[in-house]
Amino acid sequence: MAAVKGAESPQAPARSSGRLELRPATVGEILGAVRGAGSKAVLVNVWASWCAPCRQEFPDLVRLYRDYRGRGLELVLVSTDFEDQLADAKAFLTKNGVDFPTYFKVGDDMEFINTLSPKWTGALPATFIYDGEGRLRYFQEGMGTYEEFEKRVLDVLSSKAG
Amino acid sequence: MKCRGVVFMCSLLTFALAPALSTAQEDAPASLALGATAPMASEQMKGVDGKDVSIASAAGKKGTLVIFSCNGCPWVKAWEKRMVEIGNSYSKRGVGVVAINANDPERSPADGFAEMQQRAKQRGIRYPYVMDATSEVARAFGATRTPEAFLFDAEGKLVYHGTIDDNAHEPNKVTKRYLREALDAMLAGKEVPAAETKALGCGIKFRPKA
Repeated sequence: MAAVKGAESPQAPARSSGRLELRPATVGEILGAVRGAGSKAVLVNVWASWCAPCRQEFPDLVRLYRDYRGRGLELVLVSTDFEDQLADAKAFLTKNGVDFPTYFKVGDDMEFINTLSPKWTGALPATFIYDGEGRLRYFQEGMGTYEEFEKRVLDVLSSKAG
Repeated sequence: MKCRGVVFMCSLLTFALAPALSTAQEDAPASLALGATAPMASEQMKGVDGKDVSIASAAGKKGTLVIFSCNGCPWVKAWEKRMVEIGNSYSKRGVGVVAINANDPERSPADGFAEMQQRAKQRGIRYPYVMDATSEVARAFGATRTPEAFLFDAEGKLVYHGTIDDNAHEPNKVTKRYLREALDAMLAGKEVPAAETKALGCGIKFRPKA
Protein backbone atom coordinates (compact mmCIF):
# COMPACT_ATOMS: atom_id res chain seq x y z
CA MET A 1 0.00 0.00 0.00
CA ALA A 2 1.38 3.36 -0.93
CA ALA A 3 0.44 6.97 -0.89
CA VAL A 4 -1.94 8.01 -3.64
CA LYS A 5 -0.49 8.16 -7.14
CA GLY A 6 -1.51 9.56 -10.44
CA ALA A 7 -2.94 12.85 -9.26
CA GLU A 8 -3.29 15.15 -12.25
CA SER A 9 -4.27 18.38 -10.60
CA PRO A 10 -4.29 18.23 -6.82
CA GLN A 11 -7.01 20.39 -5.45
CA ALA A 12 -8.52 20.51 -2.02
CA PRO A 13 -12.28 20.61 -1.82
CA ALA A 14 -13.17 24.26 -1.30
CA ARG A 15 -15.15 23.89 1.91
CA SER A 16 -15.31 27.59 2.50
CA SER A 17 -17.52 28.14 -0.52
CA GLY A 18 -20.61 26.92 1.32
CA ARG A 19 -22.02 26.06 -2.07
CA LEU A 20 -22.92 22.70 -3.53
CA GLU A 21 -21.05 21.81 -6.69
CA LEU A 22 -20.88 18.67 -8.77
CA ARG A 23 -17.64 18.74 -10.72
CA PRO A 24 -16.36 16.24 -13.30
CA ALA A 25 -13.25 14.45 -12.07
CA THR A 26 -10.96 11.69 -13.24
CA VAL A 27 -9.63 9.25 -10.68
CA GLY A 28 -6.37 11.21 -10.72
CA GLU A 29 -8.24 14.36 -9.80
CA ILE A 30 -10.11 12.53 -7.04
CA LEU A 31 -6.81 11.40 -5.57
CA GLY A 32 -5.50 14.92 -6.01
CA ALA A 33 -8.39 16.11 -3.85
CA VAL A 34 -7.48 13.49 -1.24
CA ARG A 35 -3.85 14.50 -1.19
CA GLY A 36 -4.61 18.19 -1.31
CA ALA A 37 -7.17 18.12 1.49
CA GLY A 38 -4.55 18.72 4.17
CA SER A 39 -6.68 16.80 6.63
CA LYS A 40 -5.88 14.07 9.12
CA ALA A 41 -8.35 11.70 7.47
CA VAL A 42 -10.21 11.75 4.17
CA LEU A 43 -13.28 9.62 3.54
CA VAL A 44 -14.08 9.04 -0.14
CA ASN A 45 -17.53 7.67 -0.88
CA VAL A 46 -18.49 6.47 -4.37
CA TRP A 47 -22.24 6.53 -4.86
CA ALA A 48 -25.11 7.01 -7.32
CA SER A 49 -28.46 8.72 -6.89
CA TRP A 50 -30.46 5.62 -7.89
CA CYS A 51 -28.41 3.19 -5.75
CA ALA A 52 -30.58 2.17 -2.79
CA PRO A 53 -27.79 1.18 -0.37
CA CYS A 54 -25.90 4.35 -1.32
CA ARG A 55 -28.94 6.46 -0.49
CA GLN A 56 -29.43 4.57 2.75
CA GLU A 57 -25.92 5.12 4.12
CA PHE A 58 -25.52 8.65 2.75
CA PRO A 59 -27.07 10.62 5.64
CA ASP A 60 -24.78 8.79 8.08
CA LEU A 61 -21.73 9.80 6.07
CA VAL A 62 -22.76 13.44 6.00
CA ARG A 63 -23.48 13.34 9.74
CA LEU A 64 -20.11 11.70 10.41
CA TYR A 65 -18.38 14.44 8.44
CA ARG A 66 -20.18 17.17 10.36
CA ASP A 67 -19.37 15.48 13.68
CA TYR A 68 -15.65 15.00 12.93
CA ARG A 69 -14.59 17.73 10.50
CA GLY A 70 -13.44 19.79 13.49
CA ARG A 71 -11.04 16.98 14.33
CA GLY A 72 -9.63 16.76 10.82
CA LEU A 73 -12.01 14.66 8.74
CA GLU A 74 -12.58 15.57 5.10
CA LEU A 75 -15.37 14.11 2.96
CA VAL A 76 -14.99 13.58 -0.80
CA LEU A 77 -18.20 12.47 -2.49
CA VAL A 78 -17.97 10.94 -5.97
CA SER A 79 -21.14 10.34 -7.93
CA THR A 80 -21.12 7.69 -10.65
CA ASP A 81 -24.42 8.83 -12.12
CA PHE A 82 -24.44 9.07 -15.89
CA GLU A 83 -24.20 12.65 -17.11
CA ASP A 84 -27.90 12.78 -18.01
CA GLN A 85 -28.74 11.83 -14.41
CA LEU A 86 -26.74 14.58 -12.73
CA ALA A 87 -29.82 16.65 -11.94
CA ASP A 88 -31.05 13.74 -9.80
CA ALA A 89 -27.66 13.52 -8.13
CA LYS A 90 -27.64 17.23 -7.36
CA ALA A 91 -31.17 17.10 -5.99
CA PHE A 92 -30.16 14.23 -3.71
CA LEU A 93 -27.10 16.10 -2.47
CA THR A 94 -29.22 19.18 -1.77
CA LYS A 95 -31.80 17.11 0.09
CA ASN A 96 -29.02 15.76 2.28
CA GLY A 97 -27.67 19.19 3.13
CA VAL A 98 -24.43 18.92 1.17
CA ASP A 99 -23.15 22.47 0.75
CA PHE A 100 -19.64 21.92 -0.56
CA PRO A 101 -18.01 20.81 -3.81
CA THR A 102 -18.46 17.18 -4.80
CA TYR A 103 -17.51 15.23 -7.90
CA PHE A 104 -18.86 12.98 -10.59
CA LYS A 105 -16.63 10.37 -12.10
CA VAL A 106 -15.39 10.66 -15.67
CA GLY A 107 -13.02 8.32 -17.49
CA ASP A 108 -12.54 4.60 -17.82
CA ASP A 109 -14.28 2.43 -15.22
CA MET A 110 -11.53 -0.14 -14.83
CA GLU A 111 -8.82 2.47 -14.29
CA PHE A 112 -11.07 4.26 -11.79
CA ILE A 113 -11.78 1.05 -9.85
CA ASN A 114 -8.28 -0.39 -9.80
CA THR A 115 -6.62 2.93 -8.99
CA LEU A 116 -8.83 3.42 -5.94
CA SER A 117 -8.29 -0.20 -4.90
CA PRO A 118 -7.55 -3.40 -6.82
CA LYS A 119 -9.64 -5.13 -4.16
CA TRP A 120 -12.76 -3.26 -5.26
CA THR A 121 -14.93 -5.27 -7.67
CA GLY A 122 -16.79 -2.18 -8.92
CA ALA A 123 -20.00 -2.72 -6.96
CA LEU A 124 -21.62 0.29 -5.29
CA PRO A 125 -21.42 1.81 -2.79
CA ALA A 126 -17.71 1.86 -1.99
CA THR A 127 -15.92 3.81 0.73
CA PHE A 128 -12.22 4.53 1.12
CA ILE A 129 -10.56 6.16 4.12
CA TYR A 130 -7.13 7.73 3.69
CA ASP A 131 -4.77 9.05 6.32
CA GLY A 132 -3.15 12.47 6.34
CA GLU A 133 -0.32 11.22 4.17
CA GLY A 134 -2.70 10.02 1.50
CA ARG A 135 -2.34 6.34 2.31
CA LEU A 136 -5.39 4.16 1.92
CA ARG A 137 -6.15 2.77 5.36
CA TYR A 138 -9.61 1.31 4.96
CA PHE A 139 -11.78 0.12 2.13
CA GLN A 140 -15.35 -1.07 2.24
CA GLU A 141 -17.47 -2.41 -0.60
CA GLY A 142 -21.16 -2.32 0.21
CA MET A 143 -23.19 -0.31 2.64
CA GLY A 144 -21.88 0.68 6.06
CA THR A 145 -23.27 2.30 9.18
CA TYR A 146 -22.34 5.44 11.09
CA GLU A 147 -20.78 3.33 13.83
CA GLU A 148 -18.71 1.24 11.43
CA PHE A 149 -17.33 4.25 9.60
CA GLU A 150 -16.85 6.21 12.83
CA LYS A 151 -14.66 3.44 14.23
CA ARG A 152 -12.48 3.44 11.11
CA VAL A 153 -12.24 7.23 11.03
CA LEU A 154 -11.26 7.33 14.68
CA ASP A 155 -8.59 4.69 14.03
CA VAL A 156 -7.08 6.95 11.39
CA LEU A 157 -7.51 10.19 13.35
CA SER A 158 -5.86 8.68 16.40
CA SER A 159 -2.97 7.02 14.58
CA LYS A 160 0.42 8.67 14.32
CA ALA A 161 0.16 8.84 10.54
CA GLY A 162 -3.29 10.34 10.82
CA MET B 1 10.23 11.76 7.03
CA LYS B 2 13.44 12.99 5.35
CA CYS B 3 15.04 10.50 3.03
CA ARG B 4 17.89 12.36 1.34
CA GLY B 5 20.71 10.07 0.21
CA VAL B 6 19.30 6.89 1.62
CA VAL B 7 16.37 6.35 -0.65
CA PHE B 8 16.44 2.57 -0.59
CA MET B 9 16.67 2.30 3.18
CA CYS B 10 14.01 4.97 3.54
CA SER B 11 11.72 3.10 1.17
CA LEU B 12 12.12 -0.04 3.23
CA LEU B 13 11.46 1.87 6.42
CA THR B 14 8.39 3.55 4.95
CA PHE B 15 7.05 0.19 3.82
CA ALA B 16 7.74 -1.35 7.23
CA LEU B 17 5.96 1.50 8.97
CA ALA B 18 3.01 1.62 6.56
CA PRO B 19 -0.21 0.98 8.45
CA ALA B 20 -2.21 -2.04 7.40
CA LEU B 21 -5.11 -1.68 5.01
CA SER B 22 -8.26 -3.14 6.41
CA THR B 23 -11.22 -3.99 4.26
CA ALA B 24 -14.81 -5.01 4.61
CA GLN B 25 -16.83 -6.47 1.79
CA GLU B 26 -20.40 -7.61 1.74
CA ASP B 27 -21.06 -11.26 2.37
CA ALA B 28 -19.89 -12.65 -0.96
CA PRO B 29 -16.79 -14.87 -0.90
CA ALA B 30 -13.80 -14.25 -3.15
CA SER B 31 -14.70 -14.29 -6.80
CA LEU B 32 -14.27 -17.44 -8.86
CA ALA B 33 -10.71 -17.82 -10.13
CA LEU B 34 -9.79 -18.35 -13.77
CA GLY B 35 -9.64 -22.08 -14.47
CA ALA B 36 -12.32 -22.88 -11.89
CA THR B 37 -15.48 -24.75 -12.77
CA ALA B 38 -18.98 -23.36 -12.22
CA PRO B 39 -20.13 -23.87 -8.63
CA MET B 40 -23.66 -25.08 -7.87
CA ALA B 41 -23.99 -26.07 -11.53
CA SER B 42 -26.80 -28.53 -10.82
CA GLU B 43 -28.86 -26.02 -8.81
CA GLN B 44 -32.31 -25.73 -10.37
CA MET B 45 -33.48 -22.17 -10.94
CA LYS B 46 -36.86 -21.14 -12.28
CA GLY B 47 -36.75 -19.56 -15.71
CA VAL B 48 -39.11 -16.93 -17.06
CA ASP B 49 -40.85 -19.64 -19.11
CA GLY B 50 -41.69 -21.44 -15.87
CA LYS B 51 -39.23 -24.29 -16.44
CA ASP B 52 -36.38 -25.12 -14.12
CA VAL B 53 -32.91 -24.59 -15.52
CA SER B 54 -29.49 -25.32 -14.07
CA ILE B 55 -26.14 -24.06 -15.30
CA ALA B 56 -25.32 -27.69 -16.19
CA SER B 57 -28.50 -28.09 -18.21
CA ALA B 58 -27.91 -24.77 -20.01
CA ALA B 59 -24.27 -25.57 -20.80
CA GLY B 60 -23.24 -25.52 -24.45
CA LYS B 61 -20.92 -27.88 -26.29
CA LYS B 62 -18.49 -25.06 -27.00
CA GLY B 63 -18.79 -23.16 -23.74
CA THR B 64 -21.16 -21.57 -21.27
CA LEU B 65 -21.83 -17.93 -20.53
CA VAL B 66 -23.33 -17.02 -17.15
CA ILE B 67 -24.34 -13.40 -16.64
CA PHE B 68 -25.58 -12.10 -13.31
CA SER B 69 -28.17 -9.54 -14.29
CA CYS B 70 -31.38 -7.97 -13.06
CA ASN B 71 -34.18 -5.66 -14.13
CA GLY B 72 -33.73 -2.38 -12.32
CA CYS B 73 -30.03 -1.53 -12.43
CA PRO B 74 -29.17 1.43 -14.69
CA TRP B 75 -25.93 -0.25 -15.76
CA VAL B 76 -27.85 -3.36 -16.83
CA LYS B 77 -30.31 -1.15 -18.70
CA ALA B 78 -27.44 0.65 -20.41
CA TRP B 79 -25.80 -2.61 -21.50
CA GLU B 80 -28.93 -4.68 -21.97
CA LYS B 81 -29.33 -4.36 -25.74
CA ARG B 82 -25.71 -5.43 -26.23
CA MET B 83 -26.04 -8.23 -23.67
CA VAL B 84 -29.12 -9.64 -25.36
CA GLU B 85 -27.50 -9.42 -28.78
CA ILE B 86 -24.50 -11.33 -27.46
CA GLY B 87 -26.64 -13.92 -25.68
CA ASN B 88 -28.97 -14.50 -28.60
CA SER B 89 -26.23 -14.71 -31.21
CA TYR B 90 -23.66 -16.83 -29.36
CA SER B 91 -26.31 -19.26 -28.13
CA LYS B 92 -26.73 -20.17 -31.83
CA ARG B 93 -23.03 -20.92 -32.05
CA GLY B 94 -22.79 -23.65 -29.45
CA VAL B 95 -22.42 -21.48 -26.37
CA GLY B 96 -24.91 -22.12 -23.60
CA VAL B 97 -26.16 -18.84 -22.16
CA VAL B 98 -27.97 -18.22 -18.91
CA ALA B 99 -28.78 -14.90 -17.22
CA ILE B 100 -29.28 -15.12 -13.47
CA ASN B 101 -31.11 -12.61 -11.32
CA ALA B 102 -29.95 -13.03 -7.71
CA ASN B 103 -31.50 -9.83 -6.35
CA ASP B 104 -33.89 -10.09 -3.44
CA PRO B 105 -37.19 -8.56 -4.62
CA GLU B 106 -37.81 -7.53 -1.01
CA ARG B 107 -34.82 -5.18 -1.37
CA SER B 108 -35.27 -4.48 -5.06
CA PRO B 109 -38.96 -4.50 -6.04
CA ALA B 110 -38.17 -4.26 -9.77
CA ASP B 111 -36.66 -7.75 -9.58
CA GLY B 112 -39.73 -9.89 -8.97
CA PHE B 113 -40.43 -12.91 -11.16
CA ALA B 114 -43.31 -11.25 -13.05
CA GLU B 115 -41.06 -8.28 -13.80
CA MET B 116 -38.39 -10.68 -15.10
CA GLN B 117 -40.91 -12.30 -17.42
CA GLN B 118 -41.99 -8.92 -18.71
CA ARG B 119 -38.40 -7.80 -19.25
CA ALA B 120 -37.45 -10.99 -21.12
CA LYS B 121 -40.41 -10.50 -23.45
CA GLN B 122 -39.72 -6.79 -24.00
CA ARG B 123 -36.05 -7.36 -24.73
CA GLY B 124 -36.45 -10.49 -26.86
CA ILE B 125 -34.26 -12.63 -24.62
CA ARG B 126 -34.03 -16.07 -26.26
CA TYR B 127 -31.91 -17.81 -23.61
CA PRO B 128 -32.84 -18.75 -20.04
CA TYR B 129 -33.35 -15.83 -17.67
CA VAL B 130 -33.64 -17.41 -14.24
CA MET B 131 -34.13 -16.43 -10.62
CA ASP B 132 -31.49 -17.43 -8.06
CA ALA B 133 -34.14 -17.74 -5.37
CA THR B 134 -31.70 -17.92 -2.46
CA SER B 135 -28.89 -15.77 -3.92
CA GLU B 136 -26.63 -18.72 -3.08
CA VAL B 137 -25.52 -19.26 -6.66
CA ALA B 138 -24.31 -15.65 -6.82
CA ARG B 139 -22.58 -16.09 -3.48
CA ALA B 140 -20.89 -19.29 -4.68
CA PHE B 141 -19.58 -17.47 -7.77
CA GLY B 142 -18.41 -14.55 -5.65
CA ALA B 143 -20.50 -12.32 -7.91
CA THR B 144 -20.96 -8.85 -6.49
CA ARG B 145 -22.61 -6.68 -9.10
CA THR B 146 -24.84 -6.53 -12.14
CA PRO B 147 -24.04 -7.07 -14.87
CA GLU B 148 -21.17 -9.48 -14.25
CA ALA B 149 -20.20 -12.16 -16.77
CA PHE B 150 -18.49 -15.53 -16.29
CA LEU B 151 -17.48 -17.49 -19.40
CA PHE B 152 -16.58 -21.17 -19.20
CA ASP B 153 -14.94 -23.06 -22.05
CA ALA B 154 -15.95 -26.44 -23.49
CA GLU B 155 -14.14 -28.19 -20.62
CA GLY B 156 -16.06 -26.11 -18.12
CA LYS B 157 -13.09 -23.98 -17.03
CA LEU B 158 -13.53 -20.26 -16.37
CA VAL B 159 -11.76 -18.35 -19.15
CA TYR B 160 -13.29 -14.89 -18.73
CA HIS B 161 -14.75 -12.92 -15.83
CA GLY B 162 -15.83 -9.35 -16.01
CA THR B 163 -17.83 -6.77 -17.83
CA ILE B 164 -19.48 -6.42 -21.24
CA ASP B 165 -17.34 -3.68 -22.75
CA ASP B 166 -15.61 -0.46 -21.75
CA ASN B 167 -18.49 2.01 -22.10
CA ALA B 168 -21.91 1.27 -20.69
CA HIS B 169 -23.54 4.58 -21.39
CA GLU B 170 -22.19 5.44 -24.84
CA PRO B 171 -22.19 2.38 -27.10
CA ASN B 172 -20.75 4.40 -29.97
CA LYS B 173 -17.64 5.13 -27.87
CA VAL B 174 -16.85 1.52 -27.00
CA THR B 175 -13.25 0.71 -27.79
CA LYS B 176 -12.90 -2.67 -26.05
CA ARG B 177 -15.63 -5.28 -26.51
CA TYR B 178 -14.29 -7.49 -23.73
CA LEU B 179 -17.01 -10.14 -23.63
CA ARG B 180 -17.31 -10.55 -27.41
CA GLU B 181 -13.53 -10.74 -27.70
CA ALA B 182 -13.46 -13.42 -25.01
CA LEU B 183 -16.20 -15.42 -26.72
CA ASP B 184 -14.52 -15.16 -30.11
CA ALA B 185 -11.15 -16.16 -28.71
CA MET B 186 -12.65 -19.11 -26.86
CA LEU B 187 -14.50 -20.33 -29.95
CA ALA B 188 -11.32 -19.98 -32.01
CA GLY B 189 -9.37 -22.00 -29.46
CA LYS B 190 -7.22 -18.99 -28.60
CA GLU B 191 -6.28 -17.45 -25.30
CA VAL B 192 -8.72 -14.78 -24.12
CA PRO B 193 -6.92 -11.43 -24.52
CA ALA B 194 -8.28 -9.73 -21.40
CA ALA B 195 -9.47 -12.51 -19.13
CA GLU B 196 -10.40 -10.38 -16.12
CA THR B 197 -12.02 -6.98 -16.47
CA LYS B 198 -14.04 -4.68 -14.24
CA ALA B 199 -16.69 -2.02 -14.52
CA LEU B 200 -18.91 -0.17 -12.13
CA GLY B 201 -22.15 -1.99 -11.42
CA CYS B 202 -25.06 -2.24 -9.05
CA GLY B 203 -24.25 -4.24 -5.95
CA ILE B 204 -26.27 -7.48 -5.88
CA LYS B 205 -29.08 -7.23 -3.33
CA PHE B 206 -28.44 -10.58 -1.65
CA ARG B 207 -31.17 -12.35 0.24
CA PRO B 208 -30.33 -13.01 3.88
CA LYS B 209 -28.38 -16.22 4.41
CA ALA B 210 -30.57 -19.17 5.41
